[in-house]
Amino acid sequence: MFSFFLLTGILIISLFFFLLGYNRAKNLINLNQKNLHSLTHYYGIFCSLSALLPTLGVFFIFTICDDLVFAELVKEYIPNEVINSKDYNFTIVLAQINNSVEGLIFGTPPQWITNAAEIWKSWVIKSNILTMIVCAITILTSGFLSYKKIHSEFRSRNAVEKIVMTILAVSSVIAILTTIAIIFSVVFESIRFFALIPYDEFLFGTVWNPQFEGAERAGSGQEGLSQYGAIPLFAGTFLISIIALCVSVPIGLFSAIYLSEYASSKERAFFKPLLEVLAGIPTVVYGFFAALTVAPFLRSSGSMLGLDIASESALAAGLVMGIMIIPFISSLSDDVINAVPQSLRDAGYGLGSTKNETVMKIVLPAALPGVVASIILAVSRAVGETMIVVMAAGLAANLTANPLEAVTTVTSQIVTILVGDQEFESAKTLSAFALALTLIIITLGMNFYALHVVKKYREQYE
Amino acid sequence: MLCMLLKNTENNMNKKIINPEEATNIVKNSIVKRRSKDSRLKLFGRAAIGLAVCFLLFLFYSIFTKGYPGFFQYYVTLDINFDRERIDPKGDLSDNSLFDGDASAIVNESLFSIIEPKGRKEKKLAKKIVSSGKDVRIAKMVKDDPGLFGTVTQVKFALDDDIDSFLRGYIKRETPESERRINDKVIGFIDKLNEEGRISYEFSDYILSGSASGNPEMAGIKGAFIGSLLTLSVCLLIAFPLGVATAVYLEEIAKKNRITEIIEVNINNLAAVPSVVFGIMGLAIFISIFGMPRSIPLVGGMVLALMTLPTIIISSRAAIRAVPPSVRDAAYGIGASKLQVIFHHVIPLAMPGMLTGTIIGMAQALGETAPLLMIGMVAFIVDIPNSVVDPGTVLPVQIFMWADFAERMFIQKTSAAIIVLLGFLIAMNALAVYLRKKLERRW
Amino acid sequence: MNSKKNDLKSLELTVGDVFSKNARLKARNVNVFYGENKAIDNVTIDIGNKEVISFIGPSGCGKSTFLRCFNRMNDTIDSCVIQGEISIDDENIYDKKIDVVPLRARIGMVFQKPNPFPKSIYDNVAYGPRIHGLSENKEHLDNIVEESLKRAGLWQEVSDRLSSPGTGLSGGQQQRLCIARAIAVSPEVILMDEPCSALDPIATAKIEELIHELGNEYSIVIVTHSMQQAARVSKRTAYFHLGKLIEVGKTKEIFTRPKHNQTEAYISGKIG
Repeated sequence: MFSFFLLTGILIISLFFFLLGYNRAKNLINLNQKNLHSLTHYYGIFCSLSALLPTLGVFFIFTICDDLVFAELVKEYIPNEVINSKDYNFTIVLAQINNSVEGLIFGTPPQWITNAAEIWKSWVIKSNILTMIVCAITILTSGFLSYKKIHSEFRSRNAVEKIVMTILAVSSVIAILTTIAIIFSVVFESIRFFALIPYDEFLFGTVWNPQFEGAERAGSGQEGLSQYGAIPLFAGTFLISIIALCVSVPIGLFSAIYLSEYASSKERAFFKPLLEVLAGIPTVVYGFFAALTVAPFLRSSGSMLGLDIASESALAAGLVMGIMIIPFISSLSDDVINAVPQSLRDAGYGLGSTKNETVMKIVLPAALPGVVASIILAVSRAVGETMIVVMAAGLAANLTANPLEAVTTVTSQIVTILVGDQEFESAKTLSAFALALTLIIITLGMNFYALHVVKKYREQYE
Repeated sequence: MLCMLLKNTENNMNKKIINPEEATNIVKNSIVKRRSKDSRLKLFGRAAIGLAVCFLLFLFYSIFTKGYPGFFQYYVTLDINFDRERIDPKGDLSDNSLFDGDASAIVNESLFSIIEPKGRKEKKLAKKIVSSGKDVRIAKMVKDDPGLFGTVTQVKFALDDDIDSFLRGYIKRETPESERRINDKVIGFIDKLNEEGRISYEFSDYILSGSASGNPEMAGIKGAFIGSLLTLSVCLLIAFPLGVATAVYLEEIAKKNRITEIIEVNINNLAAVPSVVFGIMGLAIFISIFGMPRSIPLVGGMVLALMTLPTIIISSRAAIRAVPPSVRDAAYGIGASKLQVIFHHVIPLAMPGMLTGTIIGMAQALGETAPLLMIGMVAFIVDIPNSVVDPGTVLPVQIFMWADFAERMFIQKTSAAIIVLLGFLIAMNALAVYLRKKLERRW
Repeated sequence: MNSKKNDLKSLELTVGDVFSKNARLKARNVNVFYGENKAIDNVTIDIGNKEVISFIGPSGCGKSTFLRCFNRMNDTIDSCVIQGEISIDDENIYDKKIDVVPLRARIGMVFQKPNPFPKSIYDNVAYGPRIHGLSENKEHLDNIVEESLKRAGLWQEVSDRLSSPGTGLSGGQQQRLCIARAIAVSPEVILMDEPCSALDPIATAKIEELIHELGNEYSIVIVTHSMQQAARVSKRTAYFHLGKLIEVGKTKEIFTRPKHNQTEAYISGKIG
């Protein structure tokens, strides 16, 4: 709430600076009896932007940093015996204090937590006042300085344009920052994971059985009850992707061939968007469909044939995922098939080929790199897909090639591990980040390769 | 005949190219086979499209048939004696006072007067017939209209989800008693209510106005819907300006150099990052490092904004590229500065394309689930969020949570929620198509 | 067969001798429409056996469109409608019973821009015989490829690199490869749609020489906008203007003594 009021205040003051700058420009015109370099409103905009932007920067730095600073400071208020105890975990303690600050009190917390929360609250008030004062100083000084700059020779439009250009350039950097943030968030935790679990065990181990440390200790007391061999997850991901491809490649490819070579333009205009609807349906809907319609159907028809199909099977998830990625293959392949120059088709027809021969022997071989790229993109989509597998593939880390059994995938393990409460330091939580790192490397690698192929393919025909 | 064929072959071996007449014959003889191959491919193509469309139709059919009943549920009509003393003991209509009152008991008494249960055990069973939200309903009624006090009015109460499932026929009378969720006594009570004509099947007043609840008969999607709206607004407010600014910068201002090349490659790759990874980033950066609270639409919107950014940038760039250079030349020709050209000419002309791309990005964000699970929007939140910093959930996550619950009635409610979500999506896509049609310009 | 009356009607428009004694291809009162536009207006012409005939005329006059009617390449364009009759050996090619595949095998085509398939030189030439089943075995196919390349005058240049891609050849070589590809199917007629327009003068000279030689074995219809080329390669020339066939006659006569004033205007460079 405080932040909201402060922001509103900042905005109102910068609006005020707009009026100041605007009026000053007007006065200058009246005084000198000649026009200024720029239109008057540019002077207003210049004033208000130069007041607003630095203040916003200060504001965000303060709001982001205060919690971090408090977290450091509050360590002093944690009693030594708590710090020295075996179960000490700063993240959990911090969460307890934060809950207490927000008035969410479960049972009776120890006295020191209530005290720390009280102190925390007083810090919040102090920091709010500090933020307000610093913001006020910034906005007034920067606004006033920019106001001072305005004189008859000042080129405010150029100044405003420079500011706007900078804003545009900065926003294009956000994309890079996002990538850095992704890498940063995944790599550091992964490094910590690999410090606990050797990477060869992770990459080549065949048993995936993560346990929380608490559960581990409560068990038989054996060391290394948890096992982090990711092979079953990779195998599960692979199996489901293969099933999905078995569904989507024939359907997608034949659809693409039909749409680009046989269909009339009306048919094409109708069916292409219709197929693309399949890609627009939320994955959670597919997951629901897989878990509650497809899986029971497979189970009952399997039992009629004497097959024992698990209620959560790789087959159900794979089939539905296959349906989902049909449009990725059909639309992209359709595009690349259409990009094959008409002259090649003419050559084929001129020699007396049927449509079949033209498509299969000329067009498709020529479009093959693009088609392969579209399939790779579809695979990377399948590998990264989460909701369908979470809802329909199960969580049992079976190392199996049998599509009728339940398997688990990289993404569904990430979700299972990271949803809900976590112990941030435990190998189990960290393993999710290692899985995510593998996932990123695999999907980005595929995407990179596919885009490269498509680009080369385009160049060939340009 | 055979002789001739042999002779032909000999001829062919000697003569290197067959003469045209022979070639024509060969081609004519093989044509039927080749034509049938051709029509087979066409048939495969048709079958593939047909199959895909069938999947689509079946998906919609299964969701709609499952979800349509989810908008309805069974109610029981009871005569309620609005006794102020008992409902509102303090007499000030405050929450505390209504909480202290025993509205439930009044409802139960009214119910007992119809079905006449004998003994404590039967009474205990009978109490469970009406949904546990009965006292809240009465409290709401007297708050809305205090004039009800002192009257005896007929009030409709939702039935418990097991009773609902029984009335829908999911729980069968024929099943042995030990295997059913409701026993013979309860069935007897329901029959009695039915004979009295007190049970009705009506449009549910919970599904659209209720919030998350452990009782399926009281669960609704209002909370999730508002959460979705809040999250989407945050997402739009961040992603649209950033996306357009980036697209303008890359297309109009930036020189082609290493840095812009890196940004471009980066954007393409970002589009391929699985959505769950954005969730992990949100968890690690926004929640762990920046210390923002979990489960709030603000964080959800920020994560989704970063996720949809590539989509918006890519389509905005395409829209800007479609603005013919002649427009820019004309503006430069009359002495406009670069920014004036961009803001007065390029952006307005490219706006339809940018908006279309943005709507498609928003539709993608609306349906996204996995990243929001990561940042804790999966928590069980009963309160409807009022602002972007109140804990809340969104439609897809609500669907995910409900799909996991065991009660039969949640399946219908989930499907109903899916129908709402799909309706929302269809509306957004229709808007995109409309915008494209309406504002499309041909150069 | 069309009645004499129709023939006469078209004669009113066309100057010169449209008929040929030993005609392979006969076009009678052909009209071609692209949607609303009439691209070819009532054209009647014969193409004789083993004759090289050029279609000349300013660009957009419909000569290419008319050429594409002979092997029904216009079928690939949805909006194109063809009226009238075109027959090969007195068989109407637009008859419903006629399949375009054998027709196109009989009437080969070479296009304006060289369009070799992105395959090896060998596969390019072998493509036609393979799809039509014209070869009994590998050896025979090798022979066909070799012979076709020889006839197209390309054998010496490529015999040592048959497996390298056809797209790697120079423009003129590519065009000769396309001609070899057409020859390999054993056609009776070869249609050439401005085969040299994308080539340099030296490559053009080679192709022209080739066309001259091939004229001994095939009927060749060549569309060109170069009058010199028409004069060099063909015995007969037809002049088209705005979709109409203006004048047909011996090449020499057309270029030296045009009968129609429009032809004369074109020859003398007044229409370009």
